[in-house]
Amino acid sequence: MDVYGRSPEIRVVDVEAGYYPEQTVLQGVHLVARPGQLTALLGPNGSGKSTVLRVVYGLLRPRRGAVWVDGKDVSQVPAHQRVGLGMGYLPQGRSVFPSLTVEENLEVGTWTLLRVARRAALDRVYERYPALRAWRDRPAGILSGGQQRMVEIARMMVTDPRVILLDEPTAGLAPVAAQEVYEEVARLRREGRTVLLVDQNVRAAVSLADYVYTLAFGRNQLEGTREEFQQRMHAVVREWLRV
Amino acid sequence: MAVLGLTVGIGLWAEGLGLLSTLTNVFLFLLLTQAWNLLGGYAGYLNLAMAVFFGVGAYTTGILAHRGNWPPLLTAPLGGLVAVLWAAAVGVPSLRVRGPYFAVLTMILGFLAQVLAYNVPWTRGAMGIYVSPLPWDRRVVEQFFYFTYLGLALLVTGMAARIQSSRFGAALVAVREDEVAAGVLGVRTTWVKVAALLLGAFWAGVAGGLYTQRIGYIEPTGVFSLDISVDVVLMAMVGGAGTWQGPLLGVPLVMLVAELLRVGVVHLGLFGARIPVEFNRVVFGAALIFIALYAPQGLMGLIRPFRGRRLGV
Amino acid sequence: MPLTLLTEAVVNGVLLGLVYALISVGLSLTLGVLGVVNMAHSAFVMLGSFFALELLLRLGAPPMLSVLAAAPLFFGVGMAVDRLLLRRTASTSEAMGLLVLFGLMLVLENGAILVWTTDTRVLPWQMGQMVLAMGGLRVSFGRLLAAGLALTMILVLDFLLRRTLLGKVVRAVGQNPDAAAVLGVDVTRISMVVVGAGVATAAMGGVAVAMMFPFAPQEHLRWLAWAFLLVIVGGLGRVRNTLVAGLLVGQLEALSGILLPFQYVYAVVYAFLAITLILRGRGLQAAQERTL
Repeated sequence: MDVYGRSPEIRVVDVEAGYYPEQTVLQGVHLVARPGQLTALLGPNGSGKSTVLRVVYGLLRPRRGAVWVDGKDVSQVPAHQRVGLGMGYLPQGRSVFPSLTVEENLEVGTWTLLRVARRAALDRVYERYPALRAWRDRPAGILSGGQQRMVEIARMMVTDPRVILLDEPTAGLAPVAAQEVYEEVARLRREGRTVLLVDQNVRAAVSLADYVYTLAFGRNQLEGTREEFQQRMHAVVREWLRV
Repeated sequence: MAVLGLTVGIGLWAEGLGLLSTLTNVFLFLLLTQAWNLLGGYAGYLNLAMAVFFGVGAYTTGILAHRGNWPPLLTAPLGGLVAVLWAAAVGVPSLRVRGPYFAVLTMILGFLAQVLAYNVPWTRGAMGIYVSPLPWDRRVVEQFFYFTYLGLALLVTGMAARIQSSRFGAALVAVREDEVAAGVLGVRTTWVKVAALLLGAFWAGVAGGLYTQRIGYIEPTGVFSLDISVDVVLMAMVGGAGTWQGPLLGVPLVMLVAELLRVGVVHLGLFGARIPVEFNRVVFGAALIFIALYAPQGLMGLIRPFRGRRLGV
Repeated sequence: MPLTLLTEAVVNGVLLGLVYALISVGLSLTLGVLGVVNMAHSAFVMLGSFFALELLLRLGAPPMLSVLAAAPLFFGVGMAVDRLLLRRTASTSEAMGLLVLFGLMLVLENGAILVWTTDTRVLPWQMGQMVLAMGGLRVSFGRLLAAGLALTMILVLDFLLRRTLLGKVVRAVGQNPDAAAVLGVDVTRISMVVVGAGVATAAMGGVAVAMMFPFAPQEHLRWLAWAFLLVIVGGLGRVRNTLVAGLLVGQLEALSGILLPFQYVYAVVYAFLAITLILRGRGLQAAQERTL
């Protein structure tokens, strides 16, 4: 059901990055998110997973190395221009605009679109996430955690991105809501989008992924296909608990 | 040391009263700026109301000397104490708010003090208060205030240097860097801020108390002027807020520039015969902008660029 | 007769309140969206008054026209202030941002004194001097017009913020700038727009002030105090709340004006402001994150 044609490839080459001059979180990270595949990026707390996503989305400039999207170096493109490259990013934690209504939250997502395309984009999102229709005039801040997460995902999908970065999409959600989010992640993958997923839930992430990378202390550790990881999962998790 | 010797020499043997009087003003502002620096510089609370403490001190002297001919050596410390009382009553609750709110709040308290000084019965309102001059030769009077202000300025500078290297100073800096974290780590932030405020208020009050005796006349607009508060902030920022050496550099430099501008503008005749004080203040405003943008540590930051730098958090 | 006096005070309070609200919305907006306390805000109010004066003296333009001219001009000025002064300090410290604006205020105030001197001016505007008599009630036409102007501008701003996409994006930036950036919003440009709008409304408020009161360059800080009062009473960023707060403060001033001698009105307002700041300042700081 790949209705979109080929999605872009993300290539992270030897990236070194940190938030302050004295600090280096990533010390030469490599990874490739293949077109139309779901690539999972796993690792213990503080290993730099989220930082990789921030660098890929331009929220943090790499000090060394580069990020390539379909053969183009985008390392210097600021975050707010990434939507125009067909990218979408779901930040960690809550990020709805709490006193804007659900509809207004989605409208902010249409900011980069042409005026004439905005209404159609909203309609498409409501069609894709029909549950949102019932909440459209409610302030997003009063929704439950799971509902807010759906609003955030829908808001990201307004521009129909072909590359999607997800930073712990189920953290802090009740199991039922988390299950819904994972189903949505699987759908994004089925639609042929390039998905890069950072997650603490190793089992769930590996079962969705086509390819898995692990990080530790800001460096690549292991990588392999889903099958390879499913066999070695116990060993991997045990090692992290020691780390 | 050489500078100190020179200032004492000037005080004893200077010919013109003009130089003495100018330098006395320098010492007066040095006193005020060091007093401001305790809370404003070390703890980062931008107090825009030093003039209030100064004015309260000035009026304390004014009222006492006007009514009962009290001598200045007695009224000046009393002025300091009344300023402390005022700071305790009005300033301490203000310390509950931070950042820009504190700055605006202090500014408004300054206006309030001015309005009160105009309207309460015992200040004689806009008429102001005259105080009879000290019964000595003019030159001796000028020398008296010259050395009194010089001594106090040195005393407070020494105190600031001691504080800077003490636990109290470290606690004030911790409040500036991150007040919440400092509180969590066991710094008694409220107590530390209150102490810095009251100490600063005392010296500003003393400075004001002497001022009345020296000038002989006070009225609300003059001694409660926002300009005094602004000058103090500017001098501290130019030199380097939060260092005891900062005021030593900033105060003379700003006053020198003010003097040069005054003379220069008159010479150039830029704005006709009028001497526009406002021209100074345009330049000073621009200086504040420049400092905030390019030299947040003031001159001290340029002198020792590698020490005392803020963490890049 | 006292009843007429009371009615007149109430009507005047409404008119004052509307103008106060216009003066304050910009301060509330920049504080609510960007967390910036614009200490130079009232200096722009003062400049707006002199802008109206100059246009009237030189071109004979009535204040209703100067308002239209002031809006784009001061919008541009505000954008420049953000670009040249605030963007640099945004990354360093709050204290430096405050100092920059304080310095700007000094430059504007004293620059204005150099140009216009400290003399108190009145807008020499024939229509404004007219007095409307309705029943026993006498209302200055200038005040009425200024208040109508203020109300219109406030409603326009409210509409822009609540109904247009740009307004929604501005509110979004106020609530979570990072999330807005991720969705493709250039936050630095939005911040220029916000400061521009803040300064533009200040200047338009200044035109309205000139229609109502005598004015002088060195007296603008009074408006900063008033604007702060409205922001504290009305909360951050919500235009309608600022409007209600303006009407409240207008009534407070007008009514205490009949009860107290003129100079005590200031004392009452300043004291009220200081107390509310102390009591609500912290709450306001905390509220900054979840406004609009």
